[in-house]
Amino acid sequence: MRARVRIPATLYAAALADLKRPHAFAAERVGFMSARVGNRSGDPMLVLATGYEPVADDHYIEDDYVGARINADAIRANMQRILDTGEGSFHVHLHPHRGAPQLSRTDRREIPRLVKSFRPVGPGAAHGIIVLSEDRALGVVWGPGEPEPIEADEITVVEWPLRFLGGRR
Amino acid sequence: MTTINERFVRQSFLSADAQPTLERAVVGLVGLGGGGSHVTQQLAHIGFLNYETYDPDAVEASNYNRLIGVLDGDVAARTSKVEIATRVIKDLQPDARVGVHRRRWQDDPGPLRGCDLIFGCVDTFAARHELEVFARRYMIPLIDIGMDVHQAGNEPPRMAGQVILSLPGGLCMTCIGFLTEEKLAKEAALYGAAGGRPQVVWPNGVLASTAVGIAVDLLTNWTRTSRDVVYLSYNGNDGTIRPHVRLQFLEGVECQHYPECEVGDPVMRWSSSTEAEASVR
Repeated sequence: MRARVRIPATLYAAALADLKRPHAFAAERVGFMSARVGNRSGDPMLVLATGYEPVADDHYIEDDYVGARINADAIRANMQRILDTGEGSFHVHLHPHRGAPQLSRTDRREIPRLVKSFRPVGPGAAHGIIVLSEDRALGVVWGPGEPEPIEADEITVVEWPLRFLGGRR
Repeated sequence: MTTINERFVRQSFLSADAQPTLERAVVGLVGLGGGGSHVTQQLAHIGFLNYETYDPDAVEASNYNRLIGVLDGDVAARTSKVEIATRVIKDLQPDARVGVHRRRWQDDPGPLRGCDLIFGCVDTFAARHELEVFARRYMIPLIDIGMDVHQAGNEPPRMAGQVILSLPGGLCMTCIGFLTEEKLAKEAALYGAAGGRPQVVWPNGVLASTAVGIAVDLLTNWTRTSRDVVYLSYNGNDGTIRPHVRLQFLEGVECQHYPECEVGDPVMRWSSSTEAEASVR
C-alpha cells in the first residue's frame, strides 16, 4: 500500500504561517490538519487535506525537554473535531530548516500514542503526522484499519506551480 | 545509446531539478484521439515516465487524418488507441511505466485518482464536466483541450478551440463560462444525432502543444509566473491563440462550485439517535 498526501495551497500557507509564530514559552508550535481519504479501496490511498486547526496558545504546557507539549484540552478538542466531521487528523509541526525533515525521537515516541487515541474516534479515517521543513515534508499515515503506518510516497501542495514536497517516491 | 543528460540538454533551461520532477509526475491521459495522441507524443519526448492512459476505442479509418502514432495496418489489426499511445511512449521511453486502460475512465477510476495531473482530451461538454468534477474531488489539476468546426450558412467554416487549466482552488470551467447549463442541456438534447464532427490534425497539434507547455510550466515554473486559471481561446481561421476575453471580468472571483472541503471519498457518519441515520458529505 502506498499513500499520497495532497494539500491545498491555502491550507499549506495557513499551516506554515501559524507554525512560524513565536509562542510565549514553547520553542515551536504544533497544529492539526484535517484530511479525508480518497481512493480508499485502491493504491495509492489518497490523503486529502481539508482544514488546518492551530493549537491555542493556552493549550501549551511548559516543558524544557521538548519543543512543544500540548495539554489534554488540545487533544480532546481535536478528538471532538474528528468525531464531528468523520475526518482524519494529522499532527503537524515545522522543523525550521531546508531539505527533507526527519522524525525526531520525540516524534517517534509520542505520535503513535497520539494517533492511537484518534483512531477509535475516527476509525474510517486516516490519521498520522506531517513534518514540514521550509521546503520539504514528510508524512506518516495510519490508514483506516491498517495495522501499521506507512510513510507517504508523495506530499503535494496543489497550486501553481505544483509542489512536490517529498516522500518515498 | 544516449545518456539522459544528452537527451534533455536542450531543455535544461527549465531548471536544474526540472527533469526529475517531470520524471516523477504521474500523468493521466483521458481520450487518446486527435488531441490526446499529440499530447502523449510530446510528453514522451519531454521525458515523462509515468502514465495512466484511458480510451475504450480501437482506431478507425477516419482517425488516420490526425491520430499521432497510427500506422498503416492498425485499422485492419483493430489496434486500440491505448495500444498506439503505449507504443509511442515506449518507442521513446522504454523505461516508462504506462497504465493501459482500454475502457472509460469511469469504469476504473482508481489509477486516475493517483495522478498528479490529468489531460482531458474528450469530445463533449458533459464528458468535460464529469472529468472536472472528478479532478476537483481528488485535488488534481486538469488540462482540457478541444476544438470544433462550425459552419453557418455560406460563411467559411469557423475553426475554434480552447485550452483550459482547471486548478483546484481556482476558477472552474463553469466559473469561466465555458461550461453552462444551457450548453450541457443542448448537447444532451442532440445526443446521438451529432454524427461525426470535423477534426483535423493541425489545430489538435496547436492545442496539444499549448497544453503540454502549460503542464511543463505547472510542474517546473520555468516562466516564474503564478496562475490559478488558464483559459486560452484558439481561432483556427487566423491561427491565433490568446487569453479568453472573459477572463478580464473574473479578477477577484472565487469558485463557488467546488468547495475545498468537498474532497475525497464520501464520509459516512452515523448519528447516535435510536434510529440509525447516515449522513453523507
